[in-house]
Amino acid sequence: MTVLDIQNLTVQFGGLKAVNGLNLQVKMGELRCLLGPNGAGKSTTLDLICGKTRATSGKIMFDGTDITELAEYRRARCGIGRKFQVPSVFKELTVIENIEIARSRRPGLWAALSTFRTPIRGRVKDVLDRVSLVEHIDTKAGNLSHGQTQWLEIAMLLAQDSKLILMDEPTAGMTIQETLKTAEIFNSLRGEHTIIVVEHDMQFVRQVAQRVTVMNQGSVLADGSIAEIEADARVKAVYLGH
Amino acid sequence: MNRTNKYDFLGYIAFAVIILLGVPFLLGFDGFELNTFARYLALAMVAMALALSWGTAGLLNLGQAATFGIGSYVMAMHLKLAASTNNPGGMPDFMGWTNVESLPWFWQPFHSLTVTLLAGLLLPAAVAGLMAAFMFRGRITGVFVAIITLAFMVALQLVFIEEQRFTGGQNGLTGLAPLSLPGWTVDTYSLSFYYLVAGCLIVALLLGMLVVRSKVGLVLRAIREDASRVRYFGYDVASYETFVFCLSAAIAGWAGMLYTLVLEFASPTYMSVSFSLAIVIWCAVGGRESLVWAAVGAILVNLAEGRLSDVFVEGWLLILGLVFILFVIFLPRGLYGLALAMVDRLRGAPRTDATLPVKEG
Repeated sequence: MTVLDIQNLTVQFGGLKAVNGLNLQVKMGELRCLLGPNGAGKSTTLDLICGKTRATSGKIMFDGTDITELAEYRRARCGIGRKFQVPSVFKELTVIENIEIARSRRPGLWAALSTFRTPIRGRVKDVLDRVSLVEHIDTKAGNLSHGQTQWLEIAMLLAQDSKLILMDEPTAGMTIQETLKTAEIFNSLRGEHTIIVVEHDMQFVRQVAQRVTVMNQGSVLADGSIAEIEADARVKAVYLGH
Repeated sequence: MNRTNKYDFLGYIAFAVIILLGVPFLLGFDGFELNTFARYLALAMVAMALALSWGTAGLLNLGQAATFGIGSYVMAMHLKLAASTNNPGGMPDFMGWTNVESLPWFWQPFHSLTVTLLAGLLLPAAVAGLMAAFMFRGRITGVFVAIITLAFMVALQLVFIEEQRFTGGQNGLTGLAPLSLPGWTVDTYSLSFYYLVAGCLIVALLLGMLVVRSKVGLVLRAIREDASRVRYFGYDVASYETFVFCLSAAIAGWAGMLYTLVLEFASPTYMSVSFSLAIVIWCAVGGRESLVWAAVGAILVNLAEGRLSDVFVEGWLLILGLVFILFVIFLPRGLYGLALAMVDRLRGAPRTDATLPVKEG
């Protein structure tokens, strides 16, 4: 079943068409990697899906709803979560406060007025265990190490429990061990969540991707399994060949 | 949010005990002396209201005095009507001097005490809500919020000064009757009046603290750091910002009503730029991150002003300005930051840096 259906999507910044007539379908529970040279429109595609950038033309269908014109927070409420390229935890808040922000099933004002504590059990406990941050719940996020910060971000994505997770270079700046652990978490997430990852680390892509889409100049260049992509002559020419 | 911040709670209790028992004891339970202190408490309330939006969400409302002024005029209109029952048409004296023929429709509802008390809270909140809806739906933040609110206040003050027929103009509303509550005619120089003001402040602080301690406070702190990231978690940032702006305005209006009672008149100077900036200074001195400390800052600065402005008549504003600059440079978190650092030192854990600036919104 297709959960995300992008039809003929175009966005124009001045004279530049960053995304140009893009068509992309992602199935429920799939883990899709987006590859492509710099400026191919990968991050812009994620921006368009989560609402950071509005489309010039075309249509984005998510879970049967047309979300092309929705505000960011409404898309998030539909079940779209986003992790940005730059680590973006709330540095002034503690780990558990960051998780509470991410735990946004009831994002309304009145629900928030009557919430005073984050229960450290159930899903919150699971998530904290998974990223080994249980002992640091009262640490300010600004005082975490770089690796821990990345884990906190992933924990926030897990706590948010989005149907569709968009990730921009999740392993940037990670050590080999951290990258491996991230790959492990990704593999356990597929199935219950649909994930779209922009990633340059081919090692990582080989470990997680079922299906890869290669973009060039704002549209899809090739699409298929990792083996098919690596054998594709056009992909070699624009991206892998150097 | 989870960290049961017992120091904040202890601070609140200590503050309540001091203003309910300590201050009246020091001043010999004398209603006359306490009247001056009641004035400081009303000002502490508006400082705390500013800290609610500025300290939590990083929204600096430089026009906070506008909502304070609206509250004070609402109360003054009620008391002016009560004092004018023997005039022709029940009209305030100044309207007679300026040839107003009958009591304008917008004065009529203020005959009622209930309407007055509700309007003193809801009118400032509605005005702030309108401004907030316009600003925050348009994603205006930071210094632009300060400029817009300041400009709005200047315009509002001009209206109050220019429309002399309806507002008493530059003179404001004077010659007011004492407030009569059911079964109690308020004597502003009595001990019970002091307790009325102190009680209002303590309730307002408790309300504010509940909001700050709830998830709303957490979301607002997150918004101060990175509003767009908060949106991607599904929170409607504008509605959170509007809520805190309205709540802050309602408390400021409440403080304004009390202020009119204390001083027994309302004046357009309550909406002046210098008064509004003074509120910012009190907050900065006390520490805008904490509602209680913002209130303490207001009380201390006003105490100092009461003592020093007699000695340095011309120089007082310069001294106040200097104090503000010194605080911004050396104690950007105010006395609150200093207290935190001292508590940490006592516990042998030098963790908090009193001089570390908090991130600007």
